[in-house]
Amino acid sequence: MNAAAREKSFSLTKSRRTIQWLVVLGTLIIGVRHIMPGEASRGGSFDSFCAFGGIETLLPYLSNGHTLKSTNLLNFSVLLGTLGVALVAGRAFCGWLCPLGAVQDFITGWTRKIGGEARHIRGKKSKSLLPLRLPASIDHPLRYAKYLVLGVVLFVSLLTVFPPLCAFCPVRAVFGLKMTNLLWLALIVFLAGSILVERFWCKYFCPLGATLAIFNKISPVRLVSDNNHCNNCGRCDIECSMDIEDVPSSLDHPECVRCMECLETCARDGSLVLKVGR
Amino acid sequence: MKINPRYYPAIIIAVYVVFLLLGILLGFGPERGGGDHGRGALMQLACLTLESLA
Repeated sequence: MNAAAREKSFSLTKSRRTIQWLVVLGTLIIGVRHIMPGEASRGGSFDSFCAFGGIETLLPYLSNGHTLKSTNLLNFSVLLGTLGVALVAGRAFCGWLCPLGAVQDFITGWTRKIGGEARHIRGKKSKSLLPLRLPASIDHPLRYAKYLVLGVVLFVSLLTVFPPLCAFCPVRAVFGLKMTNLLWLALIVFLAGSILVERFWCKYFCPLGATLAIFNKISPVRLVSDNNHCNNCGRCDIECSMDIEDVPSSLDHPECVRCMECLETCARDGSLVLKVGR
Repeated sequence: MKINPRYYPAIIIAVYVVFLLLGILLGFGPERGGGDHGRGALMQLACLTLESLA
């Protein structure tokens, strides 16, 4: 195989899918560990591997020097890893490394298959009715809900002994394997939402996504659009899992999860370029 | 500077691992027992520095 053919055979989507499956598998292992006896004596609970747990426990830790129950210092390291990725590549954690993002992507794929799209054709609108694109009048205001969730969680974290979100966190509901009534409810809402709307949790309610959104504006590794090459065909708009409008002119959009599907689907060489530096 | 997209996944994973390890080296590592932990090594160092300055 020559160099050009090797270059062509490389697929960002395939790489992303592989990484996402590994992340899901890893999180499931943590979940299995979570239901085994004596988990706390073996280095921390399920919550202590959560990046958002680091945000939840940050204010209590700074104010009184103690982490919230079920979290520990490891949360700060996981958060630091997530913030490191955000500093370099914006919300790439959401698009590549988040287990819940991965599950939502899988659900969308399965939903489309069940809905009649036997094989996804890049850049073409799906024949499947689901997932829906909510009308802008509902979608746009609802996108701010995640910032509200973040604000409420930060405030409540100062008043509680347990991380405020953990009682109804979809990550716990999907991977935690220790279910409560609230977690069952969270699981049903999450699954139904993800079937109806692509990346439902990321778009509307994820407080970690809200935290990382600002980094899209400052991260040095980013996509750049070249107007001389782009012919506004709209393929990238169709492929965008976050339903960002006019992708080529919104590459630093706070909603972008840097999944690189736009780059992968772009048919004109040089229209979208991955660059480092601003 | 342009980056070859094939390196993008490796960049993300490498950055994540480096920062995660950095956090653990700074003292934010896994601990036995859940919750209610005191300050980490970094925080202790900061407190000691502040105390010595005062």
